[in-house]
Amino acid sequence: MSTEVAPIEKQKSSLPPLPMPMERVFDGPLTQEMLLAPGKFGLGMVPDRLAPDATTSMVCGFCSTGCSLNVHLKNGQAINLSPAVDYPVNMGMACPKGWEALTPLYSDDRGTTPLLGNKGKKRKPIDWATAMETFCRRIKSIQQEHGNDSVAFLGTGQMPTEELAFLGALAKFGMGMKHGDGNTRQCMATAVTAYKQSFGFDAPPYTYNDFEQSDVFVFVGANPCTAHPIMWQRVLKNPHSPKIIVVDPRHTETAACATDHLAIEPKSDMSLLYGLARILIDNDWVDHEFINQSVNDFDAFACFVQAFTAERVERESGIVQERQLEIARLIHEGQRVSFWWTMGVNQSYQGTRTAQAIINLALITGNIGRPGTGANSITGQCNAMGSRLFSNTTSLLGGHDFANEQHRQKVADVLGIDPSAIPTEAGDSYDRMMEGISDGRIRGLWIVATNPAHSWIHQERGRELLKKLDFLVVQDMYTTTETAELADLYLPAAAWGEKEGTFINSERRLGLLKKVSRAPGQALSDFSIFQLVAHYWGVGDQFADWTDAESVLKILARISEGQPCDITGITDYQMLDERGGIQWPYPAQGANAEPERRLFEDGRFYHPDQKAKLIFDEPQGMPEPASEAYPFVLMTGRGSAAQWHTQTRTGKSKVLSRLYEINPFVEIHPDDAQRLGVTHQQQVLIESPRGKMTASARITPTVGRNRVFVPMHYEAVNQLTLSHFDPYSRQPSYKDCAVKIAPA
Amino acid sequence: MVAFGPEQFPSGISPRLRTEVNRAIFYTWHLFCFHRPDPNHQCALNRHTGYAHWLSDHRANSVIHQPEETSTNIVDRLLDSQQQLTAVEKFSQRYLSVTAPANESLYQDLIPLEGLSDGEQYSFEIDLDACSGCKACVAACHSLNGLEEGEIWRNVGLLTGGDDFNPVVQHITSACHHCVEPACMHGCPVRAYEKDPVTGIVSHLDDQCIGCKYCMFTCPYDVPSYSESKGIVRKCNMCADRLSVGQAPACVQACPHEAIKIRKVSTEALRTESINQQDSSVGLLPGAPSSRLTLPTTRYVGKPTAVASGTPVDFHVGKSQHAHFPLVFMLTLTQMAMGVFATALLIRWAGEVDANGIKILNIAGFVALVAGLGVATLHLGRPDKAYRAMSGFRTSWLSREIIGFNLFAGAASGLLTLSMFRFWPEWIANKVEIVAMATVLTGILAVECSVMLYVVTGRPLWSAARTHSLFFLTSAVLGLSLSTVVLAVSSESASFGLRWISAGLVLVTILKLVTESRLLKHLKQTDSTPEKLSAQVLVTEKRPHASARLGLAAVGGLLLPALLAAGLFSANAVVPAVILFACTFLGELIERYLFFAISNARRMPGAPN
Repeated sequence: MSTEVAPIEKQKSSLPPLPMPMERVFDGPLTQEMLLAPGKFGLGMVPDRLAPDATTSMVCGFCSTGCSLNVHLKNGQAINLSPAVDYPVNMGMACPKGWEALTPLYSDDRGTTPLLGNKGKKRKPIDWATAMETFCRRIKSIQQEHGNDSVAFLGTGQMPTEELAFLGALAKFGMGMKHGDGNTRQCMATAVTAYKQSFGFDAPPYTYNDFEQSDVFVFVGANPCTAHPIMWQRVLKNPHSPKIIVVDPRHTETAACATDHLAIEPKSDMSLLYGLARILIDNDWVDHEFINQSVNDFDAFACFVQAFTAERVERESGIVQERQLEIARLIHEGQRVSFWWTMGVNQSYQGTRTAQAIINLALITGNIGRPGTGANSITGQCNAMGSRLFSNTTSLLGGHDFANEQHRQKVADVLGIDPSAIPTEAGDSYDRMMEGISDGRIRGLWIVATNPAHSWIHQERGRELLKKLDFLVVQDMYTTTETAELADLYLPAAAWGEKEGTFINSERRLGLLKKVSRAPGQALSDFSIFQLVAHYWGVGDQFADWTDAESVLKILARISEGQPCDITGITDYQMLDERGGIQWPYPAQGANAEPERRLFEDGRFYHPDQKAKLIFDEPQGMPEPASEAYPFVLMTGRGSAAQWHTQTRTGKSKVLSRLYEINPFVEIHPDDAQRLGVTHQQQVLIESPRGKMTASARITPTVGRNRVFVPMHYEAVNQLTLSHFDPYSRQPSYKDCAVKIAPA
Repeated sequence: MVAFGPEQFPSGISPRLRTEVNRAIFYTWHLFCFHRPDPNHQCALNRHTGYAHWLSDHRANSVIHQPEETSTNIVDRLLDSQQQLTAVEKFSQRYLSVTAPANESLYQDLIPLEGLSDGEQYSFEIDLDACSGCKACVAACHSLNGLEEGEIWRNVGLLTGGDDFNPVVQHITSACHHCVEPACMHGCPVRAYEKDPVTGIVSHLDDQCIGCKYCMFTCPYDVPSYSESKGIVRKCNMCADRLSVGQAPACVQACPHEAIKIRKVSTEALRTESINQQDSSVGLLPGAPSSRLTLPTTRYVGKPTAVASGTPVDFHVGKSQHAHFPLVFMLTLTQMAMGVFATALLIRWAGEVDANGIKILNIAGFVALVAGLGVATLHLGRPDKAYRAMSGFRTSWLSREIIGFNLFAGAASGLLTLSMFRFWPEWIANKVEIVAMATVLTGILAVECSVMLYVVTGRPLWSAARTHSLFFLTSAVLGLSLSTVVLAVSSESASFGLRWISAGLVLVTILKLVTESRLLKHLKQTDSTPEKLSAQVLVTEKRPHASARLGLAAVGGLLLPALLAAGLFSANAVVPAVILFACTFLGELIERYLFFAISNARRMPGAPN
């Protein structure tokens, strides 16, 4: 650069001291404001004006890592927080979302009273009695006219297990609904389906300690550096100088830390994984003993992968043949190989089979059930795991099966209800419910703590469908989410920190939520809202035992008895609090009380024959590949550790909002940018056959040619995405659609 | 209904006593209304006040769910129970009597164990290999230091670049660099910064600060951040209070990857290293300011290739900067004052105008000077503390500027009283010319201080050559243009002088426009230098301002004075002269606005812009 800089000027003075009027003020109100004081309670120093009179720890409400946050209290009210030190998950650390977890509670747009409007317009505050009467009257009238199944609910992975169970039980057993799903469909459904089919139960097998034990990591479609930084902490604590293999079309932060980054063509992961399996099998780098004992269908699988020759895999994935062999050798030579995947796999039109291709690698190499191994899905939302087991949507409460009569009887017995009140099949998935709105089958929808008007794939159509409903109820902590603004009836909900409950994290650990802040105005916990609905609907008696969250956990524990997720040994919240959370299973009899436990140590899986299945399928091409008209593949994903999904909460923190790009940006390869005549930070127009958005160009070789990446947090991005789904999990495929780019 | 929340009680009143007071009010209210006190109504009371915890001995969960409960009851009960905070009561307290930090063992290796030797100081060491870009350091610093909403003392930027084989994605965390030669401290007019003689930590004395924001100019790293609500700046002090008791700074404690450490560095080694560095522009990172300005102590270790081939993602487009309107007016008006006094002196020597005209010019100069200095106080966050502003004169050009303007104002008022009043004895009245010369000299001195104020910041747009030219030419332009008005008004025989003055105005306007437009040549550069970014802002976002500035100069500094110089308007030059002055004055104001608004400098990745 051209500026000439003057040499250092030493400006020390040898003049005599200054006269009095030039004195300096070392103390005063402004100085006092910044004073630190011993925090007591093991806290170290804290701001003096925020010194607590008590502390309590509770699990964070953003992602599924499930960190414990030590909340600083004054008169029982949260005034600050710091990460809990002695919790086996986060060990004294938190990401910025965790540090700022209290801030979103104090936002001005919190709902303080129910609002009645017409598709979000002319909203008027009403009292709870009117709200509940309206709720029941409108829904009952729709059900009378169009049948019970014409009203559905949409839950979330952001609510405690007890509330999810209440919503699912109330809607299905009390209000006669059949269809209900959650936003977990958008993040976890694939892992659920893959595990169920392969292992016989939805059971992520690992514990975070495995991050410290592996000598080879394989991350597929996962960027824990950004999406799960506190898990990445454990990888860096690993003392074995591990090989880190990252399979991702983008050169992410995690790829930058990898020893081997395979920048594959988008959606070619399945071919690559099958190709690696072929190399392992051809070289006899498999664990025959484990396969014989614990795995079915090996021969068929070995035969199937023969088609994935090195040439074919190179052609499809772009990974040269020698590289494939090197990677397979690393997996073979590793003593403790762990395989991890996140949304790059889950949010795919062939996600279930891709996840199973990962599971298959772990199974044939015997990398499961031992420290530092596993085929491990890193979950998304704080309670996606609770939702998977207890939301009563895809599976009956406690991971049971709606279609199984014995299961229905068992649940009915515990709940003291008539088994005939339990539907005999699972309801529609999220996407089919949306289609149901389109064809008039679904006319009423009750959305709790999720924001489909932002997050649903092919957003514009999603919004049109929500507007088409006869009655839309939105229950949320904010009145201003894109979805709440479309509601006919808005119900103000208390948030994380304003209620009790439990979350289940990625490693199956039940963690506790506590009540450390007052909800604004007349906002009620979702639990209380469900109690009110039960009362006004006239099924209060049916839920008479559901007095508070803790009582519901005890009911759910009874339901879980004998299941892989048996938690009958968990007696109360105090126990969870004292133990630093407890991983399932934790049966009343013979529970292992180790704080960190993994599954399948005995090599026995949950299928009736106790063996795991190798499941595989021919890979399919993208339904909308890049074309002449739309020459780029658009990938979406997390923008930064300071952002969470549709930003309804993280967007409220002024600190967090300084930690990411406020305006949308698109990552584009330098060669593509040059060809298009686009320069750094220039505004460009991104257009898919469905919609368009503008974004600032970030020119970087971290994305390959003919691909672009836009973080998912910007509302406009889902106007571009293509509505397509995994056929088994019904999870939307957010990371592949064709777009074109031009200077704006 | 009346009840008081905790904050409405004097401090020191126990919750129990608050409960009783509220209870008494509650019962009294009911008695007053001829109701019998009914404890069941306490739920409604709780909800009404929203301060339920003072009824902690009447917990809502003691209300048993009754099958016959009415709808109103259940809503009330749930709303009431929602306001009960249960965490303390229900769960046992950990660390109840623990005073040592529970996370001590996590950071023990990250801060120096033994004390500092002579010539050493503390510094941040950032391990780029370990940093994942999670930014927990920023949020933790905010929470553990109790900063204002949205206030952050640390920033994280991002470098990208490289090629297909080695793409770069490198996050960079940075806070105050606790420089060996802190420019914030040297620049501060009230000595509100201190560099600890032992630790080397540069801390800010919040109660000493007057909110002049000059440190925000002098710090090349954009570290001091200004709080509108408090009227002062604040900055990172490396959590000096924590370090002094063996605790790690907030950012160090909070990094999940141990990427931030406190290390000891030798200040002499840093000095030598900087002097030996051939390229004086080398900074901590690509695009960062030259380390030679302040000798920053932060060390970035690891990932040398990533850093070398990366470019900050936010470096390619210039951004318009804060315009500092009070400073725009202050600089323009005070420089005009100096120009006016100088022109008056020239006219006096040339004998071109009668004493009255010179007197008018001096009055005008004085008014401009006082207005300029007055408006400057609007720039202060705490103007009531302005009296401290000269105490930093040993190092601060701002203090020196204030001293310079005090001398200038003193001389100018002397000149004014001398020329305004007739009662002076002859031997004093004779000295008018000397006082006028003193006024001009002190004025030049003061403007020179103004110039240096900006030059020492090391910002490329505020280079010595450019700033000297701009500021002194403003004096010349406005001094001459105001003189045309006075000459046109006050003197019938002024046409000769008016023509010369006008010709001079044309000349200095050309010089000034040349100076300003030289920036545009940087547009052709391929690198995103600060000059190029500034020029980009000038021709894009600030194009309307630039056009207005050029138009006003063309009319007021070129066309009209050229016509005056050519002898047109000899009949009545007043109207064109007034228009001419208005145009040039406005034009100079816009020029000074752009001086601030387009000034892009080198900065750290992710620094506030």
